[in-house]
Amino acid sequence: MNRVRALRRELFDIRPGEHLRTWFMFFYLLCVLFAYYVLKPVSRSMFLTKFNIDKLPSLYMLIAVFGGLFAYLYSKLAARSSLQTAVFWTLSVSVGSLVAMWMFIGLPWMVYVLNIWVSMFAIVLVSQGWLVASNLFDAREAKRLYPLLAMGMVLGAAFGGEFTNRTALLVGTRNLLLASAGMVVLAYVAVRLAILPAREKVSHARAAESGGDFSFRQMTSDIRRVRHLQVIVGLMMVMYLVDTLVEYQFQVTARQVYRGDQLTAFFGQFYGLYLNLTEFVFQLFLTAAVVKRFGVGGTLQISPAGVLLTSVATVMAPGVTSAGAVRLTEASTRYTLNRTGMELLYMPLPAVLRNRTKAFIDICVDRVSRGLGGFLLLLLTATFLHLGVKEIAMVTMALCIPWMYFSYLARKEYVSTIRKRFAARRLDFETVRVSVHDPATAGLLETTAAGDNPRQAAYALSLLAEAPEYDIRRLLRRLSADCAPEVCRKVYEIAAKLKWDGLVEGARGRPGGLAYLLAVSPERRDLARELLDDADPARAREAIEALREEADLVGELIAPEWLEENARSDDARRRALAATAIGIRGDEGTELLHRLLADPDPETAGAAVRAAGALRGRPYILGLINALGNARLRGDAIAALAAYGPSIAGSLADAMTDTALPARVRQQVPRVLKNIPDQRSVDVLLGRVDHADVSIRYSVLKALNRLRETAPHLCFDHASVMRQILNEALHYYELNAALEPFRDRRDGNYGASRLLALSIEERLKYTLERLFRLLGLRYPPKEIYSAYVAVARQHGDSATAALEFLDNVLERDLKRILLPLLDAPEHILDHGRELFGVEVRTAEEAVRELIRSGDPWLVSCAIAAAAELQFRSLAPEIALAAKEAAEEVGEVARSAEVALAA
Amino acid sequence: MAEPNIVEKVIALEGVELLRNLTPEQLARIGSIAREVRFPPGKLILEAGKAFDALYVIIEGSVELSRNGEMLYTAHLHDVLGAWALFDENDPMPVSAKTLEDTRLLRIGRDDFYDLLADNGEITAALFSTLVQRFRKLVEQP
Repeated sequence: MNRVRALRRELFDIRPGEHLRTWFMFFYLLCVLFAYYVLKPVSRSMFLTKFNIDKLPSLYMLIAVFGGLFAYLYSKLAARSSLQTAVFWTLSVSVGSLVAMWMFIGLPWMVYVLNIWVSMFAIVLVSQGWLVASNLFDAREAKRLYPLLAMGMVLGAAFGGEFTNRTALLVGTRNLLLASAGMVVLAYVAVRLAILPAREKVSHARAAESGGDFSFRQMTSDIRRVRHLQVIVGLMMVMYLVDTLVEYQFQVTARQVYRGDQLTAFFGQFYGLYLNLTEFVFQLFLTAAVVKRFGVGGTLQISPAGVLLTSVATVMAPGVTSAGAVRLTEASTRYTLNRTGMELLYMPLPAVLRNRTKAFIDICVDRVSRGLGGFLLLLLTATFLHLGVKEIAMVTMALCIPWMYFSYLARKEYVSTIRKRFAARRLDFETVRVSVHDPATAGLLETTAAGDNPRQAAYALSLLAEAPEYDIRRLLRRLSADCAPEVCRKVYEIAAKLKWDGLVEGARGRPGGLAYLLAVSPERRDLARELLDDADPARAREAIEALREEADLVGELIAPEWLEENARSDDARRRALAATAIGIRGDEGTELLHRLLADPDPETAGAAVRAAGALRGRPYILGLINALGNARLRGDAIAALAAYGPSIAGSLADAMTDTALPARVRQQVPRVLKNIPDQRSVDVLLGRVDHADVSIRYSVLKALNRLRETAPHLCFDHASVMRQILNEALHYYELNAALEPFRDRRDGNYGASRLLALSIEERLKYTLERLFRLLGLRYPPKEIYSAYVAVARQHGDSATAALEFLDNVLERDLKRILLPLLDAPEHILDHGRELFGVEVRTAEEAVRELIRSGDPWLVSCAIAAAAELQFRSLAPEIALAAKEAAEEVGEVARSAEVALAA
Repeated sequence: MAEPNIVEKVIALEGVELLRNLTPEQLARIGSIAREVRFPPGKLILEAGKAFDALYVIIEGSVELSRNGEMLYTAHLHDVLGAWALFDENDPMPVSAKTLEDTRLLRIGRDDFYDLLADNGEITAALFSTLVQRFRKLVEQP
């Protein structure tokens, strides 16, 4: 039963709200093709009855010329009207023309007119039908439903051919024109009903966009400008060239075997039975599955590959069987796989561009290419070349190469166009720098530096200090005489960096002056000693900070006794000084830094953490890891641990799994690893990507994503990533099944069970985020992120484009598992069952599973829900949780026991 | 009556407007720092003109809010007292609050709250989002 349901979904995945437009569009295409397959044999039979077969090439040429003209005129007229109006007039003119030709078919030139008209009929009406469809369905809907619409065409062709076969002798060839007109009327009714749900949209859509400004130049300019369109044109041209050559081979070989009525019967059997049967089977069982599995690019590759392979047979043994096989392959794939693939190829284009160009390209390229095909045939057969079927088969094979290449390009363009639809643009402010190369800029900065805004002045000074050929000393001297504290500090900082002693006089009492003197003054040693012993710890701190880069001098000035005394001081600022000094001069084997790392004062502990990071001694690692649990020390602790570099990766890996450490500490470890861009970090993180604690798993993924972005050269083991994607996907399907019995409680006036439903939903969101983060390790991270944002926010077109992007980029196995989560929410339960055997349980069983899940919050909610819903059979599980679970879960379990016992 | 468990605390906190953008699990983290306090009838919980350092959520009973002796509102189950006191350390409360009967409340202290925010960036982000929405609503009002 499940298999039948899966097969039905595979073939006809029509979702609520889509039925009306889908089936009426199906019926429209069926009617149009029915009419065409009545008209085609009628017009061909009338032509061959009236003229010799050698007149056919001239007919091809006329069709090409009139086809081009007609495409131009149609596009020009259509540009002035809405799509709805264009459909009405096209179908009305078609019916009128058919009736007129029925009346005047006796005129000598009317058979030519009929043949040219018929060649236009199918292209215009079918192209227009697909244009309506592209305005009725978005890209995702199109991918599911276009194969079904294309099946309408196949059925229409089959019924039309069979109808002609059975009625031609009964009613006469001429009267079939009226039958065809009747089908066009039915087609009009169908399309009117199809557009009812989206009448507004279709009435605003242009049949060929651009208002009254349409021109051939604009059309060709669009094609020149948009690579996507160029690929479509190239693909169509080579496809129709091959079509003409293949048809020729088939007709020549058929004529060698059959004559007269036998030939007509053979063609009738071939086109009416074999071709339509093959197309029907392709469309029913193959097209949707191929499109789903191989995407647009893969679908378009099948036809040229098939023609290439079957043409080998014609080269080896030219004859009606081999040429028939090629024709069957080419025509059947063209009307099924290629038709669907080509229509999908238009979907990512902006609607305005698509509506403006599609009809022109479809009609014009078809006709012109077939005309070119006729010309090529004349060249190959009627000139000195005199090529036979075998040689033409070789030419066909050669043409299959560019055909396949265009199919490959089509896939690339398709993905690239989708990508552009939602790609996020980011400005990296860090890269925005002002360069000072010209006197005008330098003058402006000098004015700013001397201005009233201290912040701007300090920034201007920093820019001038970096200017390569600018002597800043004169400006520094001028500003040092009278400046705001912030500017003063900058002035002395720059002068210290330059090791310029021109500002020594008067510096002592100024902001930043002491640090400057400690850097350049000849008496810096005495000054430093004096400051270190100053009663004010802030001055001692200034001295230590100024000498940070001079470990030898600090070692000389700061004795172990000084460190000991300050480290034991009651004044936290003194203890912090001691920690900072140890960071510069080293600990010399003392235990002082261990004690300072555990200091209750955050400033002291922070200084100790920074000191440990500067010393990078292994004995401090545990202290630093513990500091990760303190929000006030965390930033320094992360920087200090990261300063150890890749050699610390093993210790951090152990810390992540050490349950003796608090969870809040273990959660922070990945933040350290993300700051160590080394393969060892990646390996450690990937090894913990399946961590049982969801919050740690999330931190690990965030760290991996960051490493992927900052160090793309690192290797992210494909197998580990894939394994975890499957785990997370399974988790998603399980959570979704667990939510099912509670789905209707989300919005009701329930307590714990509503909270349980909301919490599961929240977990589903986080699981989805983790899945995308994992995808970001395998595929381009920025694009995956953009896709996630679009999907998570469900922004109409962007979400559709994102899904289409994923559909084209993800590997097949991933696509099969992940896309149903995003694209078919109403079928997730079915997919969970089919892919992982996840079954929906009763509310009681679902709660039991959640109590056993090990996720503390979900366990709490599930226990509370069990009590609320009076699930007494869960008492043993609840009793176990009351005894063994962590404090908060235990409290909930004990409350639940009381409630169940009442 | 026993101290409410974490699930009961979350259900109580769901009614707090300031916390409405938080997920149930984030509310549970706030619930973990919330402590139950009990007051007899007639007890003054907030005094107008004095600074306040916690948020209270009523989980049983009722509280009368008044200004200058004039009764303004009677707060009941899941009503919140002092929501904005969490962010505003200096401004004194404009109203007084007195229990009308035996009343149980959840108390979330400012210091614990800030420690929690330091450890949970996503809760801070959700609170910012609420504040921004509130601010935008005020700005957009004609």
